[in-house]
Amino acid sequence: MSAAVEVAGLSAGYGNGAIALRDVSFTATAGQAVAVLGPNGGGKTTLFRALLGELPAATGSIDLVGMPAYVPQTERSRLDFPVSALDVALMGAYARTPWYRRIAGSDHALARAALERVGLTDRAGLRFGALSGGQRQRVLIARALVQDAGVLLLDEPFAGVDRTSEEAIMQILDELRAEGRVMLIATHDVEQARRWDQVLCLAGSQIAYGPPVDTLTNAVLEGTYGEEIVMLDCGHRAVAIQHHSH
Amino acid sequence: MRWLTDPLALPFMQRALLATLLLAVAAGLLGTWIVLRRLAFFAHAVGTATFPGLVVAGPWGIAPPLAALGAGLGFAGLLARMTRRGVTSADAATGLLLTAALALGAILASDVYRSGAGVDRLLFGTLLGLGDGDVALAAGAAAAAVAATAALARTWLATGFDPAGAAALGIRAARGDWLLLALLAVTVVAVLPAVGALLVSTLLVVPAATARLLTESLGALLAAAVALAAFQGVAGLLLAYHLDLPPGPAIAVIGGGGFALAALGSSLRRAR
Repeated sequence: MSAAVEVAGLSAGYGNGAIALRDVSFTATAGQAVAVLGPNGGGKTTLFRALLGELPAATGSIDLVGMPAYVPQTERSRLDFPVSALDVALMGAYARTPWYRRIAGSDHALARAALERVGLTDRAGLRFGALSGGQRQRVLIARALVQDAGVLLLDEPFAGVDRTSEEAIMQILDELRAEGRVMLIATHDVEQARRWDQVLCLAGSQIAYGPPVDTLTNAVLEGTYGEEIVMLDCGHRAVAIQHHSH
Repeated sequence: MRWLTDPLALPFMQRALLATLLLAVAAGLLGTWIVLRRLAFFAHAVGTATFPGLVVAGPWGIAPPLAALGAGLGFAGLLARMTRRGVTSADAATGLLLTAALALGAILASDVYRSGAGVDRLLFGTLLGLGDGDVALAAGAAAAAVAATAALARTWLATGFDPAGAAALGIRAARGDWLLLALLAVTVVAVLPAVGALLVSTLLVVPAATARLLTESLGALLAAAVALAAFQGVAGLLLAYHLDLPPGPAIAVIGGGGFALAALGSSLRRAR
């Protein structure tokens, strides 16, 4: 499978005419994983919603192969809902199932295979809300696998995830990369961003784009995080401190 | 068995039984979605908001279901406006508007149209005095709820489960939400003649909320809500007949008792 994302001069915002993100241009080729790095409110969600077609582009263009799959943060979903892990994975087949049909047997097989791939075969019948945060994240990745999208948008896939799940998720993302899928991984964690092929720094507008080694300089990180940055290790490595307001 | 067969030999009881079973299908199915989507208070408020519409229906010569629908839609419109403008939170606005509707209805009934004893009927229903039109409306609401659940279950499930991610699954979430609200309005109007403006939740919320305590699968939830609505409806009807109680409140008492038993059972199960 080969897929690519090409974004040129993109600005996008919400209904009231306010632009939340401007001047974004980048190209991701098949098999690349791109970290989308930035503070809360930096435009990561806006970029994803524009790529999903939920927000119109105010300027610029987006070129995508097929409809991307979106992997939300697990706490955004209703944990009290009467859905099993298998039910959630099956949601990946909803778009191709006409309203008057049952979900195809082949899609049931696909959903079970996807759960097996993320290591959750024995949890298929459990209620989604009863799983751990990391297991829930893996179920949502399985749902994206059932969608069979060439482009995956993952929103903080490692937030609140235990070690076992983190390793399982890393492994599955590496496999998806090897299959030629493109992944955009939103994160506010600089160390996390260093793991991927490219990094896109956003702070209301695009600060930088390129391989992490060249891109994650102190100047870029300061531009991305402003005063929220803390320099450690003689300025060689930087860690971003997030100020969460609860 | 005569306590069961005697009342059911009477034509008005047979009609009430038929209406109860039809409403159980409509309210059980739709109520499940309403409870899952956390629209229970909204549904209760829509029911109450129809009261002034019902009061003016007779004097103004409007068919009661249409007047009720008009008042309910007016309520929903005002609520949307207040919430969107950020005047107050959605639940406070709902409480405020339902109180206002109840007060307006009471003033219209007592001082303007002198509805007198009819007010009880509008607020608490008259399951034993239903007309053909009421039964037909109940049948229509039941058919609509079955059809909508068959066609829209996946849309409603995915949208309710994960509102932010539903559109990316290729689901028309907004259309599904509008259809859910439209169907809620139809079901409220269908339930009104039986249990009245104040007791709409008895059929629309209580059975589904009780079912939530008993099962965690969607199919079982829908079936249990319909079965509980039917059971409490029939039991309330018989209780009302034998003890000469108003049927709406009798159904409400049985529904509340059923919920309490289920809650007790589920907390005992969890404690073990």
